[in-house]
Amino acid sequence: MEFSTEDKGSYTEVSATGRLNMVAAPRLREIVGDVVSAGGKRIVVNLAGTSFMDSSGLGALIGCLKLARQSGGDLRIAAAQPQVTMVLELTSMHRVLTPHRTPEEAFAGE
Amino acid sequence: MTVAPQVRRALVVEDDVDIRGLLVQVLTREGFEVSEAATAREGLEKARAGADLITLDLNLPDGDGVEVCREVRTFSDAYILMITARTDEIERLTGLETGADDYISKPFSPRELVARIKSLFRRQSRQAEADVVNADDRLRAAEVQQNLLPRDQLTLEDYELAGRFRPSRSVGGDFYDWYGTRDGLHLTVADAMGKGMGAALIAATVRATMRSVAAQPSIETAFATAARATEADLDQNDSFVTLFHGRLHAATGTVSYVDAGHGLALHVAADGGVTRLPSAGPPVGAWPDQTWSPGTAILQPGDSLAIVSDGLMDIYETVAQFTDAVAGVVTAMGSADAACAALLALADVPEVADDVTVVVLRRFPI
Repeated sequence: MEFSTEDKGSYTEVSATGRLNMVAAPRLREIVGDVVSAGGKRIVVNLAGTSFMDSSGLGALIGCLKLARQSGGDLRIAAAQPQVTMVLELTSMHRVLTPHRTPEEAFAGE
Repeated sequence: MTVAPQVRRALVVEDDVDIRGLLVQVLTREGFEVSEAATAREGLEKARAGADLITLDLNLPDGDGVEVCREVRTFSDAYILMITARTDEIERLTGLETGADDYISKPFSPRELVARIKSLFRRQSRQAEADVVNADDRLRAAEVQQNLLPRDQLTLEDYELAGRFRPSRSVGGDFYDWYGTRDGLHLTVADAMGKGMGAALIAATVRATMRSVAAQPSIETAFATAARATEADLDQNDSFVTLFHGRLHAATGTVSYVDAGHGLALHVAADGGVTRLPSAGPPVGAWPDQTWSPGTAILQPGDSLAIVSDGLMDIYETVAQFTDAVAGVVTAMGSADAACAALLALADVPEVADDVTVVVLRRFPI
């Protein structure tokens, strides 16, 4: 899995490309941790390139959301592909991690 | 467990036909049973079949060798030798956590390759003693986990019940449990986040906690009590567990259930019609301050309840496809046990890298 981080002005976008599984999960936590430590409050994880997510990947997203909230910020997800959406819905986690259509829309109007 | 002298298996993942041929030749001469793959996809598939040594080309037509290497590491302890076309790549690679054991650059001489492989396996034999202890531990842990599964055939008039659990490693994060009650039975299917030993420890804790609330008459209260008791431990470990807990009242066929983020329990009617029982909230430990409302399903004579873990989902694109496939198997099979065996067989493909659990409760037709 490849990650990239980009400052978009009103939020920081973290793009995750590949399979978000047990191997990639700790790296996502690390990357989002770095953004939060650097003072990033609004984070959007762009999942357009995430073809697969397992329970460890979901755990990482939840951990990142908790981390962002604890530091007074928020984390949202965008452009989730069908398999990722399916995992979120099966686990009812879409109520907490609601996928937004595009990264731009995630914090729009706030 | 002792390491018996057996045929060592090597896998060559390389798209260049000539280099692949050379590698196969060298490794065969070194006494390996060699299989080969020309693409990342094929390589992963064959790696899942098992290998002691994998040579992995960095530049494959359909993927990055580093990614393949990381992926292989999620399920295999094979010695991985990465092969790159450029010497300067090695410096970059050693800085990354690829999971590879050694690197070699092209062009390499067969003698250099043999020397590397011999040194890899020398290192392995030095580690062998420690490995034997670890392997003993793993074997024992696997035994303990299997023994925590319900072994008694539950004899309940008009019903049959069967379950199967196949961990992706020696132990796993799934479990199922059941026990008889005065008017029927309780059953639980759960899946702790992740795989391996950590997930297995969580699973064992959750099993014990769920059993501890068996005497509470209200399923909602019982579940909430168990969830509260587990949440702190789960949070401490950045983990969560999906849970299906059901209680059967045998005389009426009523199953009260609570589903926390599991979402893969199916009510298969005698005529093959199927209803998926949706989850009532997130997995336990995933998010604070959750409550889960119980649901009800009524098993008429000939109906079945099939609860599957998400490992089997790996082979289906959509929940609808999964639902139809499971319902088809449950309807076609003559017994709960045969249905479980057939469902586990479905998961016996390389795409399924996760633990797999199936439980089937069937009410006999009149």
